[in-house]
Amino acid sequence: MKEKYILRFSILFYWTFFWGLSVLDKIIPDVHHLWVGKDFFALFVKFFGSLGLKDPIFATIALAFISSLEGLNFVFYLLASINFLKGKESLSQKWFFRAIFTSITLFSLFSIGDQVFGDRFQLLEHGLFWLILIASWVLFKYISSSDGKTLEFKVDKGLKIAIVIGLLITSAASISIIDFSNKTFSNVSAPVNGIEVIEDVYKFDFPFLADKLVWETTINTFKENHPELKINYIYTGPSELNSKKKTHMLLYVFTEKVKSIKDN
Amino acid sequence: MKIPFIQNNVPTNQLVRYSILFYWSIFWLFNIADKIIGGSLFLWVGRDRFAQFQKFFASAGLESPAIANFALIVAAGLEVFAFVFFTGALIYFLKKKLETTRTWFFIGIVLTLITFTIFSIGDHIFGDRFELLEHTLFWFLTLFSWLAFIRLENSSETEKMVINKKQLVLVSVISLMLVTTTCFSIFSYNYNFFSRRTDALTAEPVGENIYKVSFPFLGGSVVFEKTIDQFKTENPTKKINHIYTVPNPLRLKKADGLIFYIMTEDKL
Repeated sequence: MKEKYILRFSILFYWTFFWGLSVLDKIIPDVHHLWVGKDFFALFVKFFGSLGLKDPIFATIALAFISSLEGLNFVFYLLASINFLKGKESLSQKWFFRAIFTSITLFSLFSIGDQVFGDRFQLLEHGLFWLILIASWVLFKYISSSDGKTLEFKVDKGLKIAIVIGLLITSAASISIIDFSNKTFSNVSAPVNGIEVIEDVYKFDFPFLADKLVWETTINTFKENHPELKINYIYTGPSELNSKKKTHMLLYVFTEKVKSIKDN
Repeated sequence: MKIPFIQNNVPTNQLVRYSILFYWSIFWLFNIADKIIGGSLFLWVGRDRFAQFQKFFASAGLESPAIANFALIVAAGLEVFAFVFFTGALIYFLKKKLETTRTWFFIGIVLTLITFTIFSIGDHIFGDRFELLEHTLFWFLTLFSWLAFIRLENSSETEKMVINKKQLVLVSVISLMLVTTTCFSIFSYNYNFFSRRTDALTAEPVGENIYKVSFPFLGGSVVFEKTIDQFKTENPTKKINHIYTVPNPLRLKKADGLIFYIMTEDKL
């Protein structure tokens, strides 16, 4: 098999799935079993609302228009992939060009929207996708005209050693992953232990696995263990207080002794 | 007089090709290490991939840890073989077996493309658009690395890394001056200001029962705790009702660190 064939197929496969799943994301609004996706309708409603166009019809029309273009775009990629698999490389290249052209048009529209709505991060994101699409086309064309080398792979001693080493490392990684999972999965529901860092102020270092259920269990357990304390205030430590960035969350619980309240 | 920068006068093309192979070998080596280590350890923070996968699958209604484990093992397997083939390519490259290098590097590239394609499909399903951008960029870098690698093989570029002696002296003097100035500044800052990492801050009254605390960039949870402790000691008659963290839009872009307000009331 030729190297260029594998790489061109990789490019087509990637973008076909990319746009196919983007279309599916528009068809499936909201969160479902086996699909989370992104709520584009809510995003569009907020964007248009920020412009003063609060009627949802504007967001609906815009989303329908964008989704239609994405659907058309996906069909072009699909035709490029089908023709490629049938060995019709010239036809595949034509469809791929149409698909790329539609995609860069879409990202140009998105970028215009980002400027109008003042979302500079999305502008960067869409600009990068736009660049990668153009570069994908250049690579697709370039590989086709310059590199026709056939992949030659001999099953020699080196390859056998590589496979054995690969299997050994994969086994070691698998054992480690399962062991780590077994040790830490209890963090999904186990309450976090608080440390009294200041008199009547307790610190809770939440693990990355924890969610709202852990929060509820933690607070209830704390109340059960400390009937002498009344919770006055709960403070969520902002990211600046975390040394491990996204991997955990700090919570401070400010309390006072019930006895002292009664005395007062 | 010309002084060879590298002893063997390695052409620039070969150095760049060597860098490409080295980068991808190290890239996957550390990804595998991150998966094997799992959580945070002394001298290693990494990313808790099990927790990340578990949260992703749980958000889609698949809460069993077995599914996250399986997905993580598949990802680790692909990464391990990508690492093995890139490292093999690097070894063959050092042995100057260029044809074998190309074949092994190509297999590594294909495995890397498969890995990032699967990750991108996952990002769509789990609705993580930032990771989608990240994985698409890596996917593209992989393709570009391959193209650069084979283009440099075919290129007739024969430039050697040699530097004129006069330029070498000039560069050395300027570099030494810059390095000295920078190091002096860094060590001086460390000597004078590292205490900001642990020192308690003063709460400045800005209204009735409202106190403002401005954090230095070095501040962390220890500073927060010491500050609250100091505040309670200095104000025994006050009871903390609420702590308000100033959100980013109210800060002066990057010039302001964390700012929070302590709201109090008088104890009865």
